[in-house]
Amino acid sequence: MTPVGRAAPAARLSRRALLRAAAAASAATVAGCATTPPAVQVAVVWSGGELARFREVVGNYGADVQVISAGNDIDAFLRARQLAGTSPDVAILPRSGLVVEYARRGWLRELTPATSYALPPGMADLLSADGRRYGVWVKAAHKSLFWYFPSMLPAPPRTWDQLVTLTRRLGARALSGDGPAPLAIGAADGWVLTDWFENVLADVAPPGYYEALARGEADWRSPSVHTALDRLAELWGVDGAFPGGGRRALLTQYEESVIQVVHHRRATMLFEADFVDDVSRRFRRGPEQPETFRFPGARVADRPLIVGGDAAVAFAGSARGAELVRWLSGGSAFQPWLRAGGYLSPNVSVPLDDYRDPVRRRLAAELRTAEAVRFDLSDRLPGPFTGSDGVGMWRIMQDFFADVVDGVPAGSATRRAVGQLAAAARSAGGGR
Amino acid sequence: MSRVLGELAVLDDVGPPRRGRAYPAAGATSALLLPALLLLGGLVAWPVLRTLHASVTTDGRWVGAEHFRTALSAPGTGAVVGRTLLWALLVPAVVTVLGYLLAAASRRSQEGGLVRLILVVPTALPLVVTGVTFRLMYDPDPERGLATLVAATLTGRSAADAPQLLGPRLVTVALMSAFVWAWVGLAVLVFRAALDAVPPSLADAVRAYGGNRRDVLWDAQWRPLLLRTVAVVFTLAALGTARTFDLILVMAPGSVRDEASVLALRVWQTSNGATTGEGAALGVVWLVAVAAGMLVAALFVRQAWPPPRDPVPVAPEPVTPAPRRTTRLLVAGAAVAWLVPLGVLLATSLHGAVDAAARGWWWSPPGLDSYRDLLTGTELWRTLGFTLVLATVVTAVVLGVALLAAYPLAWLSGPPAQATGLLLMAASIVPVQVIAGPVNEVLGVVLSSGTARGLALVHVALGVPFAVLVLRNAFADLPAEQVRAARVGGRHWWGTLRLLARHNRPAVVAVAVLEFVQVWNDLVVGLLFSGPGALPLGLFLAGQTRGFAANSGALAAGSVIASILPVLLVVLARRQLVAGLVAGGVR
Repeated sequence: MTPVGRAAPAARLSRRALLRAAAAASAATVAGCATTPPAVQVAVVWSGGELARFREVVGNYGADVQVISAGNDIDAFLRARQLAGTSPDVAILPRSGLVVEYARRGWLRELTPATSYALPPGMADLLSADGRRYGVWVKAAHKSLFWYFPSMLPAPPRTWDQLVTLTRRLGARALSGDGPAPLAIGAADGWVLTDWFENVLADVAPPGYYEALARGEADWRSPSVHTALDRLAELWGVDGAFPGGGRRALLTQYEESVIQVVHHRRATMLFEADFVDDVSRRFRRGPEQPETFRFPGARVADRPLIVGGDAAVAFAGSARGAELVRWLSGGSAFQPWLRAGGYLSPNVSVPLDDYRDPVRRRLAAELRTAEAVRFDLSDRLPGPFTGSDGVGMWRIMQDFFADVVDGVPAGSATRRAVGQLAAAARSAGGGR
Repeated sequence: MSRVLGELAVLDDVGPPRRGRAYPAAGATSALLLPALLLLGGLVAWPVLRTLHASVTTDGRWVGAEHFRTALSAPGTGAVVGRTLLWALLVPAVVTVLGYLLAAASRRSQEGGLVRLILVVPTALPLVVTGVTFRLMYDPDPERGLATLVAATLTGRSAADAPQLLGPRLVTVALMSAFVWAWVGLAVLVFRAALDAVPPSLADAVRAYGGNRRDVLWDAQWRPLLLRTVAVVFTLAALGTARTFDLILVMAPGSVRDEASVLALRVWQTSNGATTGEGAALGVVWLVAVAAGMLVAALFVRQAWPPPRDPVPVAPEPVTPAPRRTTRLLVAGAAVAWLVPLGVLLATSLHGAVDAAARGWWWSPPGLDSYRDLLTGTELWRTLGFTLVLATVVTAVVLGVALLAAYPLAWLSGPPAQATGLLLMAASIVPVQVIAGPVNEVLGVVLSSGTARGLALVHVALGVPFAVLVLRNAFADLPAEQVRAARVGGRHWWGTLRLLARHNRPAVVAVAVLEFVQVWNDLVVGLLFSGPGALPLGLFLAGQTRGFAANSGALAAGSVIASILPVLLVVLARRQLVAGLVAGGVR
């Protein structure tokens, strides 16, 4: 992707300043004698229930806050607003890669978080560019979870090999028609597959390699990436692994995969993040609650934990935005959402007792004790490589999945995927 | 039914001038062109130039054909271009043939009127709703997808091996079937208007000279009229395939996007609304292809057999022969085939979220849960209200600007009339994805990027060229003596304009209804230009398709609610629509 903002920065800045001044002038004229300052504008990706919770959160802030839901395409939205010189004060971004990109273009304001802002080690330095901090984490997602019903699976697997063995056994049973398939997977959504890949990669890669890949400093054509993909091929290639077969899994979206487990019970296990319980609550049948186990890996001692998250940034020139972000980074700002449930705080200074919902409380404890916290790799990749429907890493993982379930030998499927990953990294300007 | 319907009138206008447009000129009235010129210049012409510029530069630096080379050599581009061409050739052919057959068949049978009504309903639906409907029907799970269940039963295969219509191999076929379903009604309307306009005396004359059935078809229908009509319908449908974007976004699951992709989607994916580099290059390729198609079609229509100058008012058919069995079967089959998807949508909407997501609509008794959830929430009401206001305001502004501009343009005759016709036609077919970035820049200058105001401005700019064309053609059709008499009678230009508008009510109604329905049904403009607090209906529905199965109850109910108004408008106004648009076009 070509950086749009690089052309003639001085000219553009002065034009933006002019526009801002014009906007301020017209706003002042409209406001007339009224002395109340305009509300602080926050653009978020959330909608529905999450948006309502966030509105409750900022309702406790000292000044007026206007929350605007920009939807999933917040990047395009913010680019357009920046181009037009009408950026909001604050934005909450779903990808750390965006924070760094915006900061490098000079769109953001440097931030100082509240004193009670404390993070797990893997997340701390992701929101900085050139040694300055431009964002704070406000929401976390635990992405190393399997969900299951204890009545269907008495002994969850603890290692990768156990998972493969179990999948083979259940898969054979499902093929003969007397039992559910072992795994549900929403392969129509590329991010589900990249989450799988990240968990396996973090598990098999030598120390530092995962982070180096994320920073664009490592080569994708490495033994670690090969091993990770081989492992996935080993599991996904099991006959009868998915309800309705692999081709059907490629047309199954994430929510539907949850429904396959919690409603139909057509599958025994489901891998995805803590937010599975939002869907589960709507579609569960019977009183039994789904339980979770950690993504099984080769290393039992220091299992890496993959997290995702949303970061708050303040746009350049907005002091009030920076103040709001600082307030949001404090441990107590998100109390209403904590109490309502469905929220996992990245801030480890938030007392565990504040969590009303037991799943989140346990996950918050895991976040504190995990030896190796790794942040979602695909969210950190540059440009289109980061993926969306039919684009970048999402697409590559889906091609790989299709190859594996179509019976292409694991070796050639892996080689093809590695080649595509390396090429995508090169053209996106990261990797070597 | 969309903006392109206007090209009916438009395409014809490039042909030989029908009559002298000897209106008295008045210098000052050219100022009436100003609003339309500003809108088209700022939001269409300038952005097109900017896109051309962006396709050969990087950050203002000349790079020659580099972006074109990169974009065209990117993996999959060949397939995307090929698929776009397939869409532009195969789909219009099917639409044209089906449209003619159904128009001819439904003309003879007693139930014809009802069947045509059924066929017209899909043309009024937003393409997002069409996408939702067909995705419900083609759901890969045989417990939910009717088509998959039928396919599995017919092929005798298990659910897992049944052909998947949304799978990578068949997804384009699935998309095309949805498009044909939505567009055949339009073709039927146009063909029917054409067939009705054929003077029956012509057929009698051919018969009197001993012509057989084929001679009647050839000499009394094809040569005087149908050739032109086929060209017009084919071109309309071909240009309409540019709108497959909405369908692909709604119908194709993420994993088969590439297998379904066409240029529209590729341009959007590569440039992400910014229109730089490769995105701009692909956009230029697309633009050139569309413009070339338009020119070829215009030439074709121009060289076709000229229409009869003074059509006789349609006399009732003297003898109605009893319809043959094949005809009746065709008509009945079409009615059923066109009703099934509507039935699926309606039936799904009558199930709550859990029932609709977990099992098909035929498994559980209907209820109103999905409607209740939607109607008791605030989001649907807000988006309905916003869309209603947006569509009304845009329609009013477009009508105002277009009436003013059509007035001076209606005096032109000869080459200037043809040139403005071509320019307006070109402006009305510029795909908005191609100019999204520059349009946002322009909007930024007027401080309305990412706001409801900006969204409305873009809609107005995109709607004006078509509206001007239709109104100009309609005005020019009014006998010159009447206008002259009005002016000689001492009327001011304003009075003349009012007279013209009054005498061309069908055209004005047609423009208003089409513009309203177009804005109401829009997805792509909302996707590219809407901002916070400005959530148009199409975007609201498309947003929920990210979790399609889980939201299918709400999606179906929302789709039904979203379709009521456009269907009502188009069905009620269909006579004026055809009269207004076809006046001078197909006749």
